Amino acid sequence: MNPQLQMLVILQNMDEMIREVETHGEELQSLGFKHEGIDKLRADREELQDKIDPRFLSLYNRLKTKHDQAVVPVRKNLCTGCFANIPSIFVSKVNANRVQKCESCGRILYWP
Amino acid sequence: MLTHFSCILKVVRQMDIAEVLKHTSPALFLPELKATDKEGAMAEMVEGLIAGTDIQNSETILQMLQNREELGSTAVGPGVAFPHGRTLSVMRLTILIAKSAAGVDFDSEDGKPTHLFFVLIAPPHDSGHQYIKSLAALIDKVQDEGLREQLMAAEDYDAFCEAMKEA
Repeated sequence: MNPQLQMLVILQNMDEMIREVETHGEELQSLGFKHEGIDKLRADREELQDKIDPRFLSLYNRLKTKHDQAVVPVRKNLCTGCFANIPSIFVSKVNANRVQKCESCGRILYWP
Repeated sequence: MLTHFSCILKVVRQMDIAEVLKHTSPALFLPELKATDKEGAMAEMVEGLIAGTDIQNSETILQMLQNREELGSTAVGPGVAFPHGRTLSVMRLTILIAKSAAGVDFDSEDGKPTHLFFVLIAPPHDSGHQYIKSLAALIDKVQDEGLREQLMAAEDYDAFCEAMKEA
């Protein structure tokens, strides 16, 4: 996988984890889970962010203002953000190692 | 501790254990982990997830689980851990079960080794927060010491699930 795309996926996973602590933290704590490392996680997120190409990071941040998920998986040749068909050229050898956007919704595409 | 969980789980728990077990499979059952350290056990369990599903990207899942452990150890049950998190790599809640007779140092609160693992991986949005409800149901179940002994003695996936359902 393109290393930039990999970092964007990890960044989004971290954002999801932080959001879950913020929205469901109490519920998870009631089950015994502790979140004392939240500040460390936020710091790690910042560190990761600094390694991402500013063009992709800017795109990610712009998309996050509009959508819950800036990076979305492609399933059965469909963007799972907007369900637009993804042309097969997107998965050609030429494009396989690039950060690609859905032509319809602009989200960053990820082949899980 | 048991009283604390019993009170809370009356509110959180809504899933029957049979429903929870529908998210695992014989291919997602590791009867004996080789690693006895946290890092090695996590890597082994992620390898198990890759082998037992169509998930391809092990690095993002391992990174996600490691980040979750940095938040605080998921070894919250007596000898039981529940590594969990959300990632784009799965379409539905996926649960891997692993056992370790020797035990793994998983940074548990009581400092004792962890013998039983339930790894829950969920997509960013799962309907009705199935994975939190599944966590609650599993945590509730494993409070029973007799059941934990049965689970550790279970020789295969079917025996393990049967013990879970009968308890």
